Amino acid sequence: MTHGPRIVDARLHLLSRQVLDVDGEPVSTVDDLELRGPDGSEARAGQEAHVAAILVGPALVTRLFGGRAPTSRMPRIAWDDVGHLGTAVELAVSSDGLDADWVEHWVRERLVERIPGGRHDPEGDR
Amino acid sequence: MKKVFAAALGILTAIGGFVDIGDLVTNAVVGSRFGMSLVWVVVVGVVGICLFASMAGRVTAVSGRATFEIIRERLGPRAAGANLVASFAINLLTLTAEIGGIALALHLASSVEPRLWIPVAGLAVWLVLWRVKFQIMENVAGLMGLLLVGFAVALFLLGPDWGELLRQAVPPSPPGTEHPASYWYYAVALFGAAMTPYEVFFFSSGAVEERWTAKDLSTNRVNVLVGFPLGGLLSVAIAACAAVVLLPAGIEVSSLSQIVLPVAQAGGVLLLALVIVGIVAATFGAALETALSSGYTVAQYLGWSWGKFRRPARAARFHLTMIVALLLGVGILMTSVDPIAVTEMSVVFSAVALPLTYVPILVVANDPEYMGEHVNGRVVNALGTVYLVIVVVAAVAAIPLMIATGAGS
Amino acid sequence: MNVGDLLDARVLGPDGVPLGVVVDVRLALETRDEPDDGPGGREDREDREDSEDRKDSEHDAALSSRARRDAVGGAVVLGLLVGPRRAGSYHGYERTQVRSPWPVPQIVRRLHRGTYLVRWQDVAAVDDGAAAGAGGWSVRLAPGYAELPPELG
Repeated sequence: MTHGPRIVDARLHLLSRQVLDVDGEPVSTVDDLELRGPDGSEARAGQEAHVAAILVGPALVTRLFGGRAPTSRMPRIAWDDVGHLGTAVELAVSSDGLDADWVEHWVRERLVERIPGGRHDPEGDR
Repeated sequence: MKKVFAAALGILTAIGGFVDIGDLVTNAVVGSRFGMSLVWVVVVGVVGICLFASMAGRVTAVSGRATFEIIRERLGPRAAGANLVASFAINLLTLTAEIGGIALALHLASSVEPRLWIPVAGLAVWLVLWRVKFQIMENVAGLMGLLLVGFAVALFLLGPDWGELLRQAVPPSPPGTEHPASYWYYAVALFGAAMTPYEVFFFSSGAVEERWTAKDLSTNRVNVLVGFPLGGLLSVAIAACAAVVLLPAGIEVSSLSQIVLPVAQAGGVLLLALVIVGIVAATFGAALETALSSGYTVAQYLGWSWGKFRRPARAARFHLTMIVALLLGVGILMTSVDPIAVTEMSVVFSAVALPLTYVPILVVANDPEYMGEHVNGRVVNALGTVYLVIVVVAAVAAIPLMIATGAGS
Repeated sequence: MNVGDLLDARVLGPDGVPLGVVVDVRLALETRDEPDDGPGGREDREDREDSEDRKDSEHDAALSSRARRDAVGGAVVLGLLVGPRRAGSYHGYERTQVRSPWPVPQIVRRLHRGTYLVRWQDVAAVDDGAAAGAGGWSVRLAPGYAELPPELG
C-alpha cells in the first residue's frame, strides 16, 4: 500500500477522467476542479488552497468554448465524496443522491422508462 | 469440452462478424475492376485490425476504460470533442450504409421495394438493441454471417484458372486500362473497409459488456488472430468471384445483385439464398455494432452510464443516443440516396478518421499507469509504429485521391 | 478559482515579462491505507449481484493488481507547471519515463522542452483577465521564484 501523499498533475491525472459512483455506475467526467482556501474561503494566489469540488456539465462548455459561468451555480460533486483514484475517479456515494446527475435521471424518468421494456433486464432472460 | 466450444464459438463469430457491407461492396468493386491485384491491401488491413483490435481489447480489459474514455482523457475536452464529432459522423455514415445493406439484401430475397424495408430494418435493429442480451446478439449475427462462406464455395464451383488469379495478386499487376490514381484510391478504400474505427469502439466497449479481465486476454487474442484472417479470406473470395465473373464481362459493380451474380451463376438458387441470408446477417450484425458504437462514443466522452448489459433505464442517455442515430440513418436512406454510394463514402472516410482512434490507443497501451505489466511488448510496438505510418499515410492520401479520381470513377 | 481557469493562463515574471503558459496544476493527494478494495471498485455492473457476485470480485482483484489505484483524501495545490507553449494533446510525456511507442513521446518531449515547476507559494497574483484588453487569465510570479524540475515523484 502506498504511504504519504501521491503527487498528481490535475490535467494529467484528474481532468477528463471518468467519475464512477460507489457501485461503479458512471456519473460524469471530471470537467473542472474548484479550488478553495482554508475553511471554504475564496482561493488566493500563493495561499494554501485545496480541491473543493469536481465540476461537471456546464464546466465542460466553458472549458470548450471559453467564457465564464458563475462557479457557484455549476453542478458539482464535493471532493469529500471521492473515495479512490485509479484509471477513474471513484466516489464513496451513490449517484442516485447526486444532483449532478439530474439530466440522466430526467431522461430516464421522462423518456426511457416510458417506452415498453425500458426497465427490462437484458441479462435476465436466459 | 465447454471451453473448446466457447473458443470455437468465439472464433466463428469473429469470422462471421468480420465482413460487413463495406467489405462486401468494396471487395466486389475492386475485384470487378482490378482483379486480384489489390489482395495485398486486404492482407495489410487484416493484420492491422488484428493488431488494433487486440490492443484495444487489452487496454480495456486491464484498465477498465473503453476507447473513447481514453481518447477524452488523453486529448482533453477540445481535441477529443473534435474527434467525437468526426467519429460520430463517420460512424453514422457506416450505420446508414449497413441499414441500407439489410434493406437491399431483403429486397433481393423478396422483390419488395428497398424503401419499404428500410424502416423495418431500422426498427428491427432497435428492438434487438433494446431487448436482446449482448452475447446472444453477437453469436447469432456472427454465426449466420458465416453463410457468406458461400462466396468461397461459388469460387470453387466456378473452377477458375487459379494460376491466373495468383499472377494478378503476386506481384500486384493492375489492369493497364486503369489509372494508377484509381488503383491507389481503391487501395485506401479497401484498407478503410478492413480497418473501420467502429470495430475498435465496439471491441473495446464489448470487452466491458462481456466483462473481460486480464485473464480473458489469451482467449481474445486467439479469437482475433484466428477469426479475422479467416474473415479476411471471405473478403478475398468475394473479390475473386468478381474477378472471375464480372471483370471479363466488363460489369462494374453498382448494385447488390451484381455482387451476388457470380454466386447465382455458380451455385444456383440454393447457394444464392444462403448467401443472401449471410448478407442480411452480416449487415444486421454490423448495423447493431455501429448503432452501439454511436452510443458508446458519445456516452464515453461525456461520462454517461452506458452498456447493453444495463437495463435501458439505467443507461437512459446512451439508449436515447442510439435511437437518435438510428432515426438519422433511416432518415438519410429515405431520401433515396444509393446505399452502395453511401458505403463507398463510408469506407474512405473511415480511413481518414482512423488515426484519431489509433494513436490514443497505441499511446495508452504503453502507459504503465493504465496497463501495469500488460504494456505493449517490443514486437507489438514495432508493428504498432509501422501501422502508425500506414494509417497516417492512408488518412492523408484519401481525400486528395478522392478528388483526383472523382471518387474512383 | 478553478483549475480550468489556471490552465493555459499566461505566466508573467515578477517584472511582467511573459514566461510561457500554465501547462498543469500539481496537487498532493492524501492517501489512506486500505487493505481491502472494498465494494464498488471498478466499472462494475449493477443488477447482477446475486448471480455473478463471485465473478465480480475476481474481476476487481484481477484489475486492481494492474493499474494504479489509491484510496485518497484531500488534495492540496503544490504548484504550477510552466511550459513554453500550450500543452495540447498527449501532455505529460515530459514528466514520465514512458519512451514508447516511438516516435510519439520523443516528439511531444521536444515540443515541451523547458517545462518547469513553480511552487504555489511563489505565485504572487492570479488575474482573471476581466479588465478590458487583459486577454484572458494570467498568473504573476513572486520575486525570487524558483524553477524546479517538472518530473513527477
